[in-house]
Amino acid sequence: MPDDLVARAQAGDQTAFRELYRQHAGRVYALCLRLTGDSRDAEERTQDVFVRLWDKLRSFRGESAFSSWLHRLAVNVVLNERRTTGRRERRIMPAEDPAALERHHRGGGGGGGGGGDNPTEGLSIDLERAIAELPDGAREVFVLYDIEGYPHVEIAQLVGIAEGTSKAQLFRARRLLREKLER
Amino acid sequence: MNERELHDAVSSLPKSIEPPRDLWPEIEARIGARSSSWRQRWYWVPLAAAAVLVFVLLARGERSAWDVTALAGRPRIGTTRLAASGRLRVGDWLQTDDSSRALIAVGRIGQVEVRPDTRVQLVVATTTEHRLALARGTIDAKVDAVPRLFFVETPAGTAIDLGCAYTLETDSLGKGLLHVTAGEVEFQTSSRSSRVPLGALMQIRPATGPGIPYVEGAPAPFVRALIAFDFERRGTRARAIRTILALARPQDALSLWHLLQRVEPPMRGAVYDRLAALVPPPPGVMRRGAVALESRALEGYWTKIQRIHFRMVVLRGVRQIDPRTGLAR
Repeated sequence: MPDDLVARAQAGDQTAFRELYRQHAGRVYALCLRLTGDSRDAEERTQDVFVRLWDKLRSFRGESAFSSWLHRLAVNVVLNERRTTGRRERRIMPAEDPAALERHHRGGGGGGGGGGDNPTEGLSIDLERAIAELPDGAREVFVLYDIEGYPHVEIAQLVGIAEGTSKAQLFRARRLLREKLER
Repeated sequence: MNERELHDAVSSLPKSIEPPRDLWPEIEARIGARSSSWRQRWYWVPLAAAAVLVFVLLARGERSAWDVTALAGRPRIGTTRLAASGRLRVGDWLQTDDSSRALIAVGRIGQVEVRPDTRVQLVVATTTEHRLALARGTIDAKVDAVPRLFFVETPAGTAIDLGCAYTLETDSLGKGLLHVTAGEVEFQTSSRSSRVPLGALMQIRPATGPGIPYVEGAPAPFVRALIAFDFERRGTRARAIRTILALARPQDALSLWHLLQRVEPPMRGAVYDRLAALVPPPPGVMRRGAVALESRALEGYWTKIQRIHFRMVVLRGVRQIDPRTGLAR
């Protein structure tokens, strides 16, 4: 039972915590990858999220689903890291490694991304690449709004921008994506 | 590619992507290093405790006060008029008149805008509990923290933040309205509680406390029937229930979920059946368990209702969502 797993991890059981990692690593990594736009950064942030989770797990009281709570924690870790370091020079999926995205999509990991027979796979790979190439601000808002389902008012708080800026960034991101995907 | 094709492509993206390598060994090393380094250096514990104690004593005065900024006019803290900014200490009252507004920084977790003609007191200001008392007036709260860190007491009950943004108004007797714009708020008294997700409102009354929440834009006759059920004399309740069940739409499932727990036991079956007809229960939720108000059944149902509701609110104007399933049409 997941609840039991969380409770055991809260009590300091590292085996249970490892199982939590196994269950949620894919979801957290996907979020980090899309928000950071860099696969190496995404690995580091995923580690940061789970280290932070270990520290904060006792404050989870079950008022929301654990996965939602962890998701929010992951968003905060990634955005805080960006705010504090401003490190944005690297980009997702270096051009010399185009197979990386394909591996992600073929490798599966839930959510319907796997499977070489999927006719939308090529488009998904192009879309992932196009998202990664978006300007930082536009990418973050697009990922949080269109992929993760956060409302603008929450995105504004999380990213530290005005709600109107969030809407403008989303509009910009969608326009840029449509242009990129039409090429 | 048009907007719709882009949305379809986005919705087909995988929610989960496995990392290219196993990250666990490094995570394990990092959390292990923390634990073991503290175990090896146990003799630091008393010193660290002493340092923390000194820090707490020094910082106590500052932590038990929150920053306040005047947004308009000259709000008062106690008897002192605020020029531009000031500090609200535990026990202090902040009061605005009909032309003044103020912004309170809620520790490090959020902010509260105090609208005109409002009176609010800082009750607790610690890192684990942030508590205001709203005697009358209106506040807009925005909190970015784990659930149950921020509380607002009103004459009719307490609003508990579950990670959200909301507007709360009350008169001095406790008649008021809660409107949640992000996340979720729980409003409770010692005998009753309601959960209000984003895009929903809830009436509050003295003595009774929280009413049944309803979605923004719910038809007026439906809302009137909810108010009659919650707050008017008992003789009108049967008619109110019939009206609620007759007018309920799939998007009103969150209201029926609350109603199920408030009607007399003989009526629960009828409420459940209407709810199940509008939004089918998720796997594992059985009629018998829900009618018996078993927490597992209720929680399971609520999770589904909440998920559908969330998608409908955040995707409003972007995608057409089926209110029975939460899926894009």
